[in-house]
Amino acid sequence: MGDTILPRRTARRPEVPPPPRLPPSLAGNPGLPYPAIGTELADLRLQIPGVQGSVLGGVDGLLIAHDVPTGLDPDDLAAMAATTFGLGRQVGVRLRQGEFQQSTVRNAGGYLSVYAVSSQALLAVVGHDAINVARLHLHAPPVAARIAALLAGS
Amino acid sequence: MANLDTALKDAMTIDGAIGIALVDYTSGMTLGVAGGTPEIDLTVAAAGNTDVVRAKLRTIEMLQLNDEIEDMLITLGSQYHIIRPLTGRTGKGLFLYLMLSKARSNLALARHRLRTIEEQLEL
Repeated sequence: MGDTILPRRTARRPEVPPPPRLPPSLAGNPGLPYPAIGTELADLRLQIPGVQGSVLGGVDGLLIAHDVPTGLDPDDLAAMAATTFGLGRQVGVRLRQGEFQQSTVRNAGGYLSVYAVSSQALLAVVGHDAINVARLHLHAPPVAARIAALLAGS
Repeated sequence: MANLDTALKDAMTIDGAIGIALVDYTSGMTLGVAGGTPEIDLTVAAAGNTDVVRAKLRTIEMLQLNDEIEDMLITLGSQYHIIRPLTGRTGKGLFLYLMLSKARSNLALARHRLRTIEEQLEL
């Protein structure tokens, strides 16, 4: 047992090009249409039962806008959305599957879904355990597309 | 005993069948679909009807009926929609969703066929 050689994972040079550098942060930009973004986020919560709240965060992990009740920290959610995106982007690059689109984490008591909004922004939605997640997946991408248009138009 | 693909294929042989889906009502996701038309997206139908099933289950619970849904019939102008929760040990939390053309189907026969398919479905 003592002299068993365990396999070692050695770092391998990736044959794929490194991901492109991140664009400048959207967080804190005073020119964004915050009321319209807020309306989109609130509508998402009102239209799908089980949505607790949502945040619009930058791919850098900084909060842009949010619609979450007290008890959830929007800054934390924005940071976790970017962390999720980081894994998704690596998977996309390594497996040559293209751009990150969506990632869902399901825990015993609920969900966190992260949707790509644009190359700079992410939409993170927190849901109860009882949420109809298929309905969320049908509803959230159009919301993300509308928010992307709002961000692009500003 | 039939597997999922066979069961879905069988359901599509029911007279007037437009589409069939096996849906998980805890998430609204489909486990399998057959049929459908370019206009009718069965995954959208599955997600929407998940809310229907959940509402009915909650109502039965609130009324303390201590009973379960055998099937649900929704009649449209031109279609019948039949929802049938799975009863087997492996089918917990799932339901079959069948869309029928009203003009081309025999409702009693379709309901009977769907029951047989559901009973024989082994996941």
